[in-house]
Amino acid sequence: MKKVAAFFQAIGANIKDIGVTFKEGGWKTKVSFVIFGFGPLLRKYYLRGIAFLALEILYIWYMVAFGTSYLAKFGTLGTVETHMDPTTFVTVYGDNSFLILLWGLMSVLFTVLLIALWRMNISENRREELAAKAGKEVPTIRQDLHQLIDSKFNYTLLSLPTLGIFLFMILPIIFMICVAFTNYDFSHQAPSKLFTWVGLSNFANLFSFGGDGFGATFAKVLGWTIVWAFFATFLNYFLGVAVAILINMKGIKFKKLWRTILVMTIAIPQFISLLYVSKLFAADGLVNSYLLKWGVISQALPFWTNPTWAKVTIIILNCWVGIPYQMLISTGILMNIPEDLYESAKIDGANAFQMFRKITLPYMLFVTGPYLLTSFTGNLNNFNIIYLLSGGGPTTMSMSGGAGTTDLLITWLYKMTVNDTNYCMAAVIGIMVFVVTAVISLAVYGMLPSVRDEEGFQ
Amino acid sequence: MKKKLLAVLLAGAMTVSMFTACGSSSSSSESTSSESSSSSESTSSESSSSEASTEASTTTSTGAGETITIWVADAVTSLTQTMAEEFMSENGYEYTIVVESVGEGDAASNMITDVEGGADIYGFAQDQLARLVAAGAVQQLTGTGYDTTIEEENGAGSVAAATFGSTLYAFPMSADNGYFLYYDSSVITDPTSLEQIVADCEAAGKNFYFEINSGWYQVAFFFGTGCTLTYETNDDGTFASCDIDYASDAGLVALKEIIELQSSSSFQNGSSLSSATNVAAIVDGTWDSEAAKELLGDNYAAAALPSFVGSDGETYQLSSFSGYKLLGVKPQTDADKLRACLELAQYLTSEECQLERFNEVGWGPSNLAAQEDEAVQADVALSALTEQSNYSIGQGQYPDDYWTLATALGDDIISGNITSSTSDEDLMATLEDFETKCISCAQ
Repeated sequence: MKKVAAFFQAIGANIKDIGVTFKEGGWKTKVSFVIFGFGPLLRKYYLRGIAFLALEILYIWYMVAFGTSYLAKFGTLGTVETHMDPTTFVTVYGDNSFLILLWGLMSVLFTVLLIALWRMNISENRREELAAKAGKEVPTIRQDLHQLIDSKFNYTLLSLPTLGIFLFMILPIIFMICVAFTNYDFSHQAPSKLFTWVGLSNFANLFSFGGDGFGATFAKVLGWTIVWAFFATFLNYFLGVAVAILINMKGIKFKKLWRTILVMTIAIPQFISLLYVSKLFAADGLVNSYLLKWGVISQALPFWTNPTWAKVTIIILNCWVGIPYQMLISTGILMNIPEDLYESAKIDGANAFQMFRKITLPYMLFVTGPYLLTSFTGNLNNFNIIYLLSGGGPTTMSMSGGAGTTDLLITWLYKMTVNDTNYCMAAVIGIMVFVVTAVISLAVYGMLPSVRDEEGFQ
Repeated sequence: MKKKLLAVLLAGAMTVSMFTACGSSSSSSESTSSESSSSSESTSSESSSSEASTEASTTTSTGAGETITIWVADAVTSLTQTMAEEFMSENGYEYTIVVESVGEGDAASNMITDVEGGADIYGFAQDQLARLVAAGAVQQLTGTGYDTTIEEENGAGSVAAATFGSTLYAFPMSADNGYFLYYDSSVITDPTSLEQIVADCEAAGKNFYFEINSGWYQVAFFFGTGCTLTYETNDDGTFASCDIDYASDAGLVALKEIIELQSSSSFQNGSSLSSATNVAAIVDGTWDSEAAKELLGDNYAAAALPSFVGSDGETYQLSSFSGYKLLGVKPQTDADKLRACLELAQYLTSEECQLERFNEVGWGPSNLAAQEDEAVQADVALSALTEQSNYSIGQGQYPDDYWTLATALGDDIISGNITSSTSDEDLMATLEDFETKCISCAQ
C-alpha cells in the first residue's frame, strides 16, 4: 500500500513541478512545451536543444511515415484479407496482422518514451532558468560532451545495453503477452490470414475443465513440472554433496582420478550424451536387448513407454548429468569449512551424521541457497533433458493439446508453437510459466538463510 | 583518459555480443520474419513496376536477377538443380535457381512460419496440405489450365491427394508414400500371416517393427477390419465433417489385434530402418528400400502387409494408406514469376522427370505413363507396394489433431493404459472417446 501511495505522490509532485515550470517560466520555456529543446537552443545550450528537437522530429517522422497507419489498425489488427486475383491468379497481400501488432506496439511504446522525453525537456528548461537566475555560466558543447565520459559516464555506458534490452527483451515480451489475447493460431496465420483480439477467451480455455478444455491437461503438466523440478534440484544437490564428501574423506585414494572421471560427463556436450542415453534405454535399445539376451527379463522394460517409468527414468538420468556440477561446487565449499569446527565437535563426541547435520549442511545451505533457488527455477524450464530424453512422451488420449505425460510446461509450449502452430495458447502457457516461476522464486527468496541473515557465517 | 576510452570500447563490444546472444534466443524468429517480409514487400513493389515494363515489351525472357527457390528432400537436391536449370535455359527464362534441402515433413512447417520468406516451389507429403491451405501458403491450380494436365497424366488417387475441398492445389510428384512389409526371408517363413511373422520373430529372438502409435500406420488395422475414417473438407482449408465408425465391433477387433501384437516380446514400435536394431521384419515404405537391401543382404524381401485372425475368429487383411508426395507453388505477387514457377513445377513432375527420379533415387512415379515403364514394374519394393495397393485406401485430408490423437491412442496401448485384460466395455469407451475427439477436430 505504501508503495502505491508513494507512486501517486510522485505523480502529483511531477504534475505540480510541470505546472510551476509553466507558470514561472519565460516565453522560451512555454514554447518548449510544444517544440522540444526550443528553450535550451535559445539559451545557447545547443547540444541539448538539438538532441531534444531531433528526437521529437524523429518521433513525428516515424508516426507520419508508418506509426499512424499501423496504430489506426491496432484495434482490429487489420481488415483487408490477402486475396488472389481470380483471373490472373496473382496474389495480393492484404493487412499483415503480425506486423500491425508489432509496429502498433512500437508506436505505443515510442509514444510513452516521447512523454518521458517531454518531461525531461521540461525539467531541463526549469534547470536552465534557475541556473540563469543564479548567474551560472552556460556550458560549451565541449564541456557537455566531456561530461558524458566524466560525471555522466554511467549514461554513456548504459545507453546501448538499455536500447538492446528494450528491443530484444522488453518488446518481444510485451508482444508475446499481446499474442495471448488474440486468436493467432493455425487457421489465422499472417500474412495470408488475419487474426484479431479475442479478449480473455484463451485464458478461459486454459482453465476450462471438461470437454476440449485445457484445464485438466494444464493441471497435470504443471503438477509434473513442479514434481520434476523438486526432484531434479534436491536429488542432484544431496547426491552431489554426498559424492563430494565421499571423495573429500580422508583415506580415499586417487581423489583427482575420481573427480576427473565425474567431470568427463561435463566434457561431452549434454545433448549428445542425452540423445545417446535416450536410445540406450529404448525398447529396442542396448539395455533392453542385452537383458533379454541374457534371459533376465522376458519383455522389454518400458523405460520410455510407460508414464511412471519414464518419469522415474528421467529423474534418475538427470542425476547423472547434474551430480558432477554439484560435486564441483560442493568440493570448493567443503574445503572452506574451518577444520576446527569439526575438531571441537569430535571432542564433544559428535558422530559423523551429527557433524554433517549441524556443521556441513547449514554451512552448505547458507552458501548455496541462492544457487539452489536458481537451479530450481532453471529446472522448471529444463527443456533439454525432457525434450531429448522422452520428447514429452508417452502421450495419452486423456490429455489435450498434444501434451505428453512427461511434458513440462516449456516443452508443451514448444510443441504447441512448432507442431500445432497454436501461438495464442502457447503465449498463454508462456505467461503461466512466468507466473509460476515468479511466485516460487519470490516466495522462496525471502526464506533463504543467506537473505534472512546475511552475517550468519562471518 | 585512455582507460576510460578502453572501458567504452569494452562496454560497446559487450553490448554487441549481448545483442547477438539475445537475438538468437527469443526475438530472432520475429525479427527475421518482419525483416524478410518487409524486404519482400519492397521487392514486390519493384517487381510490379518491372512487370508493367515487361508486359509492354512482351519479351519471352524474364526473370533476370530474380531467383526461384526450391525446397526438396535431400536425396533429390542436386538432381532437381540440374533439371530446373536445364528447363530454365531451354525455355528462355533467366531466373536463378536455388535448390535447398528441406525434408517433405519440415517444408510445410517452414512455409507456414514465414510464407513470404519461404520457397517458391516446395515438395511436401500430402498430409501437410490442410495446414498449407489453411495458412494460404500454396497456390491454387484449379482454373489455371495446369489442373487439366495434372488430371489427365496422373493417377486418380494422386489427384485426390492434391485436392482440398473442390480445389486442386499441387502437382503430384510421386505415388510411393505407402507402406508394406520388408522382411528377412531366412527368418520369416510365411509373410502373409501376422501370427506367423510374430511367432517366427519370437522364435528367432528378433524384432518386428510396426509403428502403431502413428496415425498413418495405425489405420492398417482399423481399415483392415472395415472401419472408415475420412474428413470432408471446405475450400478455405477447414474441415467440414468427419465420417468415422471406430466405435463398432470392427473397431474393437482392430484395437484388440493391436493390443495383441504389442504384447509380443518381438514387437517394437517404429518404422525407421536407420534406428532399428535386430530386425527380422519392418512395416516401412519405399524410402527405406536401399537401407533394407543393405541390411538384409541376400535375405532381402518385400511383400504386401499380412492378414491376421481377429478376436472374432475371422481373417482380415491389413489395409494401409497410399499416400503421395506433392509439389506446391507459393502464391506469387508477380504474374511472370507465377507463370515461370508453375511451368517449372509442371516440368519437375512430368513423366520424364519422374522417371529420372525413379532411376536415381527410386521414387515411385505418380505419372500414369511413367508407371508403365519396365524398370518401374520390376522393382521389388515398388511391386510390393503395388501388391499392397489392392488393399490400400487413398489417403485423403486429415487435420493435424488427428495425428496427435492417433499417437495418443497408440501410446495408451504401448504404455499399458489399455491391455488385453481391459474389458470390452472399457475398450469400447476408449474407441468412443477417440471417435468423439476425431469428430471435434472437424469443427
